[in-house]
Amino acid sequence: MRNTTRLTLAVAALVVTGTVAQAQTNNASITATATVLTPINVNGAQQLSFGNVFPGVNKSVAVADLTNAGRFDVTGQANAPVTLSFTLPVTLSSGSNTLPIDSYAGVRADNNLETGGIGFVPGASNAATLSAAGLLYIWVGARVTPATNQAQGTYTGTITMTVVY
Amino acid sequence: MKRVSVALIGALLLAVPLHAQRPLTVTGVRGLTFGAVLPGVPRIILRTDPANSGEFDIRGPNNSQMLLSFVLPVAMTGPSGALMPLSFGAGDAGYSRSQSIGSQVGFDPKQPFTATLSNNGRGAVFVGGTANPTTNQRAGAYTATLTLNVTVLP
Repeated sequence: MRNTTRLTLAVAALVVTGTVAQAQTNNASITATATVLTPINVNGAQQLSFGNVFPGVNKSVAVADLTNAGRFDVTGQANAPVTLSFTLPVTLSSGSNTLPIDSYAGVRADNNLETGGIGFVPGASNAATLSAAGLLYIWVGARVTPATNQAQGTYTGTITMTVVY
Repeated sequence: MKRVSVALIGALLLAVPLHAQRPLTVTGVRGLTFGAVLPGVPRIILRTDPANSGEFDIRGPNNSQMLLSFVLPVAMTGPSGALMPLSFGAGDAGYSRSQSIGSQVGFDPKQPFTATLSNNGRGAVFVGGTANPTTNQRAGAYTATLTLNVTVLP
């Protein structure tokens, strides 16, 4: 009789164990992640200025000319690689008169003194990297080639730089 | 005593198949990764994206039916408690008996879904979603937790 009781308990235990195994539930978790980048901001900080030019006399503004070279200031995500693309005029205009401009040159640096700057030829796609502070400075120099009969006047053109991550 | 032995053997025979069932396990294999996002530009990750979709692997009793249900966040939390809204579409989750990302049956992660484990007791759930940064979303790293609950149906 004692044996019978033990066996009955064993059977009951097995049945209970089996019932628990039927109702299995479990779960796990994963993480969703994203990194929001600081928006890029581009500021035309300084005009490319040729000053007075004379008919028939070419004039260049060196990209190292911190006073007269054009400058763009860029802020954005620290250390982020970016692509620069330039739209460069081939002439400056004064009313219906035009003045050719060419020989564009660029320098990029992470400070506004061009210290440690890297030269490049501005074009449709130039690679660059923002500094650890999220800064980038771009200078642009060029040359104008007035004709010997260049009409007097103030000539302007627009240089556009687009920056994307 | 004979009756007792018979009863015991019977009980063992009944119980052995139940003990042979593989326990249910659920494992988070891969996080849902939105990567770099820009303020104001939604970022969509498809459940079929092998690198960025989230993945759970499931093991359990062969061919067993199970109920899948998600606990989904409505936003990711970032710097200083900043929130970035998250959304999940009706087809943003997928189940694969073969655990292959290329062979999924899509389902709505916001609704419970019944699926069947494979002949060898395996399955996988993949999940995509959309991060919706606002135009003035604060820069930085954002995270959230997605939980998959699995219940083997009797």
